[in-house]
Amino acid sequence: MSNKLLEVKNLKKYFPIKGGLFRNVVNHVKAVDGVTFSIEEGKTLGLVGESGCGKSTLGRSLLRLQKPTEGTVVFNGKSVLDLSHTEMKALRRDMQIIFQDPFASLNPRMTIHSILREPLDTHRLGSPSSRDQKILEIMDIVGLRKEVLNRYPHEFSGGQRQRIGIARALVLGPKFIVADEPVSALDVSVQSQVLNLISDLQERLGISFLFIAHDLAVVQHVSHDVGVMYLGRLVEKASSEDLYKDPKHPYTQALLSAIPIPDPTKKTKRIELEGDVPSPINPPSGCSFHTRCPFAKDICREVDPAQKDLGSNTEHLVSCHLY
Amino acid sequence: MADNKEPLLSVRSLAVEFRTDKGVVRAINDVSYDIFPGETVGIVGESGCGKSVSSLAILGLIPSPPGKIVHGSIKYRGQELVGLSEYGYRKIRGKSISMIFQEPMTALNPVFRVGSQMVDVICRHQKLSKREARLKAIEMLDKVGIPSAGKRIDEYPHELSGGMRQRVMIAMALSCGPDLLLADEPTTALDVTTQAQVMGEMAKLQKDFGMAVVLVTHDMGVIAETCKRVLVMYCGQIIESATVEEIFRCPQHPYTAGLLRSIPVVREKKLKRLPTIEGKVPDLLHLPDGCLYADRCPKVQDRCRKEVPKLVGETGKQRVACFYPNNREDLM
Repeated sequence: MSNKLLEVKNLKKYFPIKGGLFRNVVNHVKAVDGVTFSIEEGKTLGLVGESGCGKSTLGRSLLRLQKPTEGTVVFNGKSVLDLSHTEMKALRRDMQIIFQDPFASLNPRMTIHSILREPLDTHRLGSPSSRDQKILEIMDIVGLRKEVLNRYPHEFSGGQRQRIGIARALVLGPKFIVADEPVSALDVSVQSQVLNLISDLQERLGISFLFIAHDLAVVQHVSHDVGVMYLGRLVEKASSEDLYKDPKHPYTQALLSAIPIPDPTKKTKRIELEGDVPSPINPPSGCSFHTRCPFAKDICREVDPAQKDLGSNTEHLVSCHLY
Repeated sequence: MADNKEPLLSVRSLAVEFRTDKGVVRAINDVSYDIFPGETVGIVGESGCGKSVSSLAILGLIPSPPGKIVHGSIKYRGQELVGLSEYGYRKIRGKSISMIFQEPMTALNPVFRVGSQMVDVICRHQKLSKREARLKAIEMLDKVGIPSAGKRIDEYPHELSGGMRQRVMIAMALSCGPDLLLADEPTTALDVTTQAQVMGEMAKLQKDFGMAVVLVTHDMGVIAETCKRVLVMYCGQIIESATVEEIFRCPQHPYTAGLLRSIPVVREKKLKRLPTIEGKVPDLLHLPDGCLYADRCPKVQDRCRKEVPKLVGETGKQRVACFYPNNREDLM
């Protein structure tokens, strides 16, 4: 069994809603509501779910870009949430993030050189002269030509910008990267280039990824394990083979069947979900999916389902009363 | 099938240009196609290929300046639309040809209730009183699958979810019974499960109303499930036109083939590497000579860099703009 690089236990992130005359906290948005998982060294966990299910909040909470409300995050033996600012800054060398929108995440007034140099300067990595060498190395890895070093972000296409974002995350030599929807803003032909790059990087540098996306097909290509989120909870988690071959949770089944297949000869049997995702302010009682679940029973409305392991060889965790 | 019918919409050698500080961008170049009554035609392509501009041009919605239709004609039931006055367009928009947009939040006015926006459209085109128009609006909202439509009609757009807003857009677009619906990425902003709901709703309504739909999208999966015919665009040109079955069975243009291969789909067995199209779309300001796909094409020859291939083939058959199109053996 390989080492666990990251262990997350019962992580919660509630955003307060303020209201009334004195702006008192009147309620909470339960963006992440008790999530537990772990990522092994050199592996990728894919995280899928629809918009608003809390997947991005989860990613940001792991890096303490937002302070979680409750729970523990253990990275490489260190409890991330208990670290001081200085210790956290040192740890950020090992934990990096790639953002969704390559147009918003790069400072338009900085050249590529200064964008890539800044993290090295902040962390005082290597001698000042060796830093430029490091930048060139990384640019070569992500497939950027060195002539572009003094250009500005607006001079690049979406795919190229995402490569710059990836290079920035890589330049410190991290062990773990949160990739938050890294390809959803890109066209299909470019999307596959970036996905291949991410797989290559993992093979070459042994980096672990938390790969967040709403597109199940994209997630399959890069992930070893896949987790499915609904209303702030992880409803199913399994190895990528198991999850796609034999999805257990009705939500995962619906999600998979809803993907339009680019083949007119194949007709999918679609499990159509009724209605919309309920509000995370007052999530439904019991199983949060029961309002839309085609198999909902009485127990689903009352009791929160416990997580069960249904896997034979590998772990296949499902939170559902059907099993 | 469609050969003996008169086309509903007929676009001929349309060219649209945008004047920018850096030069003139030709967003659409020499585009021709027909839409027949009741059919669903998909226009696919990557961002910047001109697929949205081509549908905006039909309704005279191209921002001018900087945009301008510089060449060609668009005929709706024989009536020329290019050069029509704003007054003339107003009679057509919403009544004969409707449009739904990608982002329903920006397409709906945030300061008016859903109902009043719908009543406006209905009253403009139909001789109905405000009260009758309101009843009609409720009926339409009900048809697109909005629960308790009588209550929802008095809500503001921000009170609705993304899927609901897009349904409101569809209800509004269909409220005057158009012959042609232009749908510009109608489900791109929606989640897959909501997308499935909305596409299902649209297919049902299309049958009931018998209108033609032009579906502009980048999602080949959506095309495969809803369309009869497909136009593939690249850099402002139609490079292939065929039925859905033909496109997916035998994509003749190397770009279409590459595009289809690189779509990530859930596979039984995970691939080691995803197939890609190398390179990137050329800069519209500095288009190369010859075939615009030549720099990325695996089958490129000398001729491709000198001459521009035209869309050839019989009307109604699979047509392709390529000197060395794929045939079925190549793809096996």
